[in-house]
Amino acid sequence: MKRNRRTLFRKFFLNLSAFLGFFILFVFIVVAIFAPFIAPPKPNKNPYLMPIVTWNGNPEAPSPEHRFGIAGKRDIFYGVIWGTRTAFQVGIIVTFVSTFIGLVVGSIAGYFGKLFDEILMRVTDVFLAIPFLVAAMVFTTILGTGLDKVMIAMTVFSWMYPARLIRGNILQVKEEQYITAARSLGVSHFFIILRHVLPNSIFPVLIQASMRMGSLVITAASLNFLGIGAPQGYADWGALLNYSRNWMLGGNGEALKYWYMTVFPGTAMVLFVLSWNLVGDALRDFFDPRLRI
Amino acid sequence: MIFYIIRRFLFLPIILLGISLIIFVLFSRLSEYQRLATYINNPERLKSTDLDKLIELYGLRDPAIIQYGRWLKNVFSGNLGWSYVGKEPVYNAILRRFPFSVELTIFSVIPIILLGTWFGVLSAIHHNRPLDHTLRIFSVVGWSFPDFVFGLFILMIFYSSLNWFPPGNLSIWASDILKTSLFRSYTGMLTIDSLLNRRLDIFFDALRHLIGPVITLTYVELAFILRITRSSMLEVLQKDYIRTARAKGLSEKVVINKHAKRNAMIPVATVSGQTVLGLLSGTVIVETIFNRTGLGSFMALAAQQLDYASIMGGTLFFGFILIIGNLIVDVSYAVIDPRVRLE
Amino acid sequence: MNKPSLLLDVKDLRVFFYNDNKEELHAVDGVTFQVYCGETVALVGESGCGKSVTSLALLRLIDSNGRITGGEITFAGINLLHLSKKQMQGIRGKDISMIFQEPSTALNPVFTIGDQIMETIILHQHVNQKEARDIAEGMLKIAGIPDPGKRLLEYPHELSGGMKQRAMIAMALSCRPKLLIADEPTTSLDVTIQAQILELIRDLQQKLNMAVILITHDLGIVADMANRIIVMYAGKIVEEGNRQDIFKDPSHPYTIGLLRSIPRLDIHQEKLSSIPGMVPDPVHFPSGCRFRNRCPLADPLCQQEPSSALISDHHFVYCHHWKRKAELQAESFTNE
Repeated sequence: MKRNRRTLFRKFFLNLSAFLGFFILFVFIVVAIFAPFIAPPKPNKNPYLMPIVTWNGNPEAPSPEHRFGIAGKRDIFYGVIWGTRTAFQVGIIVTFVSTFIGLVVGSIAGYFGKLFDEILMRVTDVFLAIPFLVAAMVFTTILGTGLDKVMIAMTVFSWMYPARLIRGNILQVKEEQYITAARSLGVSHFFIILRHVLPNSIFPVLIQASMRMGSLVITAASLNFLGIGAPQGYADWGALLNYSRNWMLGGNGEALKYWYMTVFPGTAMVLFVLSWNLVGDALRDFFDPRLRI
Repeated sequence: MIFYIIRRFLFLPIILLGISLIIFVLFSRLSEYQRLATYINNPERLKSTDLDKLIELYGLRDPAIIQYGRWLKNVFSGNLGWSYVGKEPVYNAILRRFPFSVELTIFSVIPIILLGTWFGVLSAIHHNRPLDHTLRIFSVVGWSFPDFVFGLFILMIFYSSLNWFPPGNLSIWASDILKTSLFRSYTGMLTIDSLLNRRLDIFFDALRHLIGPVITLTYVELAFILRITRSSMLEVLQKDYIRTARAKGLSEKVVINKHAKRNAMIPVATVSGQTVLGLLSGTVIVETIFNRTGLGSFMALAAQQLDYASIMGGTLFFGFILIIGNLIVDVSYAVIDPRVRLE
Repeated sequence: MNKPSLLLDVKDLRVFFYNDNKEELHAVDGVTFQVYCGETVALVGESGCGKSVTSLALLRLIDSNGRITGGEITFAGINLLHLSKKQMQGIRGKDISMIFQEPSTALNPVFTIGDQIMETIILHQHVNQKEARDIAEGMLKIAGIPDPGKRLLEYPHELSGGMKQRAMIAMALSCRPKLLIADEPTTSLDVTIQAQILELIRDLQQKLNMAVILITHDLGIVADMANRIIVMYAGKIVEEGNRQDIFKDPSHPYTIGLLRSIPRLDIHQEKLSSIPGMVPDPVHFPSGCRFRNRCPLADPLCQQEPSSALISDHHFVYCHHWKRKAELQAESFTNE
């Protein structure tokens, strides 16, 4: 019964990875919601700005007071906790808005077809021709600092993916025989799209969105890591890691002493992205068995 | 197929024009004073009180369409403005740094394709067995690693503690030799130039500096190729012609390596363009972390210091390279998949 | 006429598959038959009856979710199930070859016809590239492909369906196998091409003196090609006999139903017959005779496994009630 064991193992593994994804995500959601209790901000201060806790520029190792240590004069623990909110904010808002824009553009291109389609798809090509990180970087530098600017920049350069998906689905459905049949019965084209395409596209769009979430959060953190996005001291994992960079480069052979500067925000970042990727995989396995691999 | 390639070639200038338009629109959001800086190669001149005169001189208050035309003309004549970060014309700054990024990309794309396809095939052959699961965990973790986080880990362990892979492009002694007239530059890529100059010591030094960034980029970008290879291999292994190959008496090794792999590689080739795209934008982060000179770190530096001329020029250049790259990938399908040649 | 020698002896072959719910599927369940040198044996039955699985089992090419769980396959005196993987690879394509239903998917799209044929020849005949090319070209010519030198350099998609199947046949026969397994070789082809391909197989069979196992559900082809016929139902053999035996004196109710379901020009029929009911789900085959839930003659006795009954020389039937076959009226098999 070797075969049976294998099937069991596979199911267990699939469930395990899906469970792990949802579990980690759940933990992050809890942390984000209860951030004010886990790491209370100073009263009357913007909680998203990490308060300065010391005037000594050197990093400090974890201590009972500062559980994850201090980097760039700021408490790493505070940054990691509030950085969770930043990550959710960026990921959800950008995904939501860009998916909506993509839905509209993709539907127009797919529904009207012909010249509309051609023009919109060329526009999509143009936006896809610039690497996402570079595009976001350029746009942010021109808009100026601020997390909102980062989010605008990322939205402008990420609506193309859902747009292509929706357009593809609409074109495919248009070819189906039952659509031809419905049309010959006089059902309006618009109604057909509404009735058949959108329900079929919801899950692919959802799956794609959850898969994109990880890369969006990475890109936003990259900008903050480079010091281009959020203002100084903004609670963000990328910004926290930025403090550690110089100590990793110039640690005089002692960078390991400053491990906490990299390990805590880095781990938070990896786990966050990992959870979205696992959730995306699980959604795909569940809703789209054709893609099950 | 030929029709398709011609079509792609015809769209090339349109897309390039589109990119330039996006960049110009972004650019025109800046104030005249900020835009003026991109024309001035001596910062001292910006201190003069007559900035408005200069703005007038460069026509920065002309209607947008005229400015766009003028800018395009400049771009075509290779004049991308003055780079404040590079302290030289943007055009020169880009061309001088680009080979370093190309070198890093080439050195990364080789292990990515080789390991990615190898692991992907292994994963497919051992479908749903422990090796498959191990490789999938390995790849999903790599996929979830932001390149700057992994890069920092590599630096922390392999540079700061073990001192194996130092940051930068070259050791000081080697870059001193590079500055002398004894060393001739052919391609701008250090590994190739050092070999052409018969300086094996410099070659190995350059290689040593490449290892850290290459490991980082490889691990982070590997997952994509691995996944595509795995799923495409799983699909191919179900095909009738694989059964035919087995029925012929071919060994499993030949069935996999010859009959299955060649077919499974077709979708992999399709996405290799995207991988190069990912790698090129990856250089922005990785070069910054490892303190390397290159187009990526140049862009990051320009963005940090609001050097608009360099940002514009660099973006245009990136877009251009990516479009050409994708075109090459499209044409290369035809080589792998004989069915495409006819269409 | 001296009796031809035994080539293949399959005894009590069992192939089980396992589905995702860990259920056992008894795809082939105790199949026994023989193939003699130079003859054509047809394996007949509805899709899913286990005929293709049987043929793949002969080459030990069962998919990874299935296993040969019992029996013996003796080919030219060797039990194939005892061979190592490597020894088995030496048999495949050399002594036993196979051609498949769908020539357009059975040929690898990214290699030329020549590559694919020469590969087999080089593998089994230990010749160099040049000699292999000559043999391949000769085989294409024998298989009736015009301008074989040029075709060698072409890719499968450049050939028509019939040409592809000819190329498949050339490939399968390039090492002069003693046994050719043809799994629905003409199903996907046009009717006119079908006849040509069958003619080609028969022609080459005589030239090379090989045995052919022809797997088909098309009784017209069987009547045309087969010396002997094996009728399978739900993983078991229900009847076996010479062509005349089966067509003139079918004895299993299933065989009778099958034959009644072909339209005939020589007999006046009001309606075409068909066998009522469906092939049972392979996970839940009925105990005893597997045909009993569709059989007009079924009674409680059928819950016991029928043993083989010898009707005449070489004509077996696995049915408790074969003697009552006269009771089967045309109406018994007509759908209401």
